[in-house]
Amino acid sequence: MMTLADGGIDLFIPKVYDIVWSLIILVIVALFFYKFFMPKFNAIFDERAEKIEGNISKAKQAKDDADKAKKKYEDQLNQARVDASKITDDARTEATKIISEAHTRADSEAAQIAANAQRSIASQQQQAMVSLKGQVGTLATALAGKILGAKLQDGDVQQGMLDQMIDGLDKTSEKK
Amino acid sequence: MMETVGTSMLLAAGAGPELPTVNDFLPPEILFQGTPFAINRIILIRLVATVVLLLVLGITAARAKLIPGRWQGLIEYGIDFVRNNVVYETMGELRGRRYVPMIATLFFTIFIFNLFGIIPGANMAATATVTMPLVFAIWVLVQYWIAACREKGFFRYIRDECFTPGVPWPIYILLAPIQLIELLIIRPASLTIRLFANMISGHLVLATCLAFAQYWMVEAANKFVGIPVGGIWFLGGFVMTLFEAFIAFLQAYVFAILATVYINLSYPDE
Repeated sequence: MMTLADGGIDLFIPKVYDIVWSLIILVIVALFFYKFFMPKFNAIFDERAEKIEGNISKAKQAKDDADKAKKKYEDQLNQARVDASKITDDARTEATKIISEAHTRADSEAAQIAANAQRSIASQQQQAMVSLKGQVGTLATALAGKILGAKLQDGDVQQGMLDQMIDGLDKTSEKK
Repeated sequence: MMETVGTSMLLAAGAGPELPTVNDFLPPEILFQGTPFAINRIILIRLVATVVLLLVLGITAARAKLIPGRWQGLIEYGIDFVRNNVVYETMGELRGRRYVPMIATLFFTIFIFNLFGIIPGANMAATATVTMPLVFAIWVLVQYWIAACREKGFFRYIRDECFTPGVPWPIYILLAPIQLIELLIIRPASLTIRLFANMISGHLVLATCLAFAQYWMVEAANKFVGIPVGGIWFLGGFVMTLFEAFIAFLQAYVFAILATVYINLSYPDE
């Protein structure tokens, strides 16, 4: 049985074949890590970071767009509200104006019509009076002539009789 | 080490337990004997470990997806750990970028190789001859000399390291050779011996525990004493197995971070 004290130094003397195999293994392992393993994982890390960054910026873009659209719609809505209230106001003013105009026009027309009627009544009355006066005079003279059998030559008498008759006529018509 | 072995000799008078010996680390050649390509048990384990490493990591990398599964997540965590916690934290991202593959190679390979110390059937770390750690250490040595010559120039590096400005000149008589030895021998030697000795001691302690457990539980005549004592030894072996798993990681980490620090020392101070 060999103890550590006997063979200890042998442990620290590299053997040729051990060196050969260790070098071969080191080269293989290092090549594997340098050429395949690390590049592969670095590519994955980079791709992942890129994806995450891309998604974040995409999300930010979408949010910005949404905000913009929202602001646009809100602006439009506000504008529409303002427009609507303006239109309502205008319509109300217009209606008031139309109504008051109609009132004024109706009033003036009514007054006109009333005035016209009054005037025409007055003129008809006048006409009637004049024509009545003429006819009644003639009629009465003829009648009185026939009744009295005398010609009423005197103009003054004739006029006096006429007036008297008309007064009587007026009184009878008032009595009726 | 000597004490353990000495005591065990006393206990194991006669047909004692099969205690681990230094021969475990100097196994006979079993293939291509006498050629530069001779293979012994440890080299066979190393070849198997290499194949396992390449297959496991290679398949993981080949199947790697943008959205990682659990296993890929674990491997990515390891890469992240080497890149950020070891390389970038020591030398910064700008300098460190080119060394990430190298440090990742060292870390993953040493870790897997070390783990074979507790894998049943192998029971021997693939880093358990002096040569494998030495080859890794020489790689580090070459890298930090290349970095020094590129970044500072050969003579400025020697001047900065061996004739550090601001030191009274008689000190240089002592300082310069020590620093030169440090640059050429002590750094790689410390990397090599730290890793190698950890694997040796781990194997010896673990194998001793299990050998005694076997001896007391199976071979000892007195079962009343043998079973409890053997049970304690087995418990020791169990705990040591877990501890070795931790050491496998720890030594890979220490090797990786020291390699990074040595390379970083070749760069001029900012």
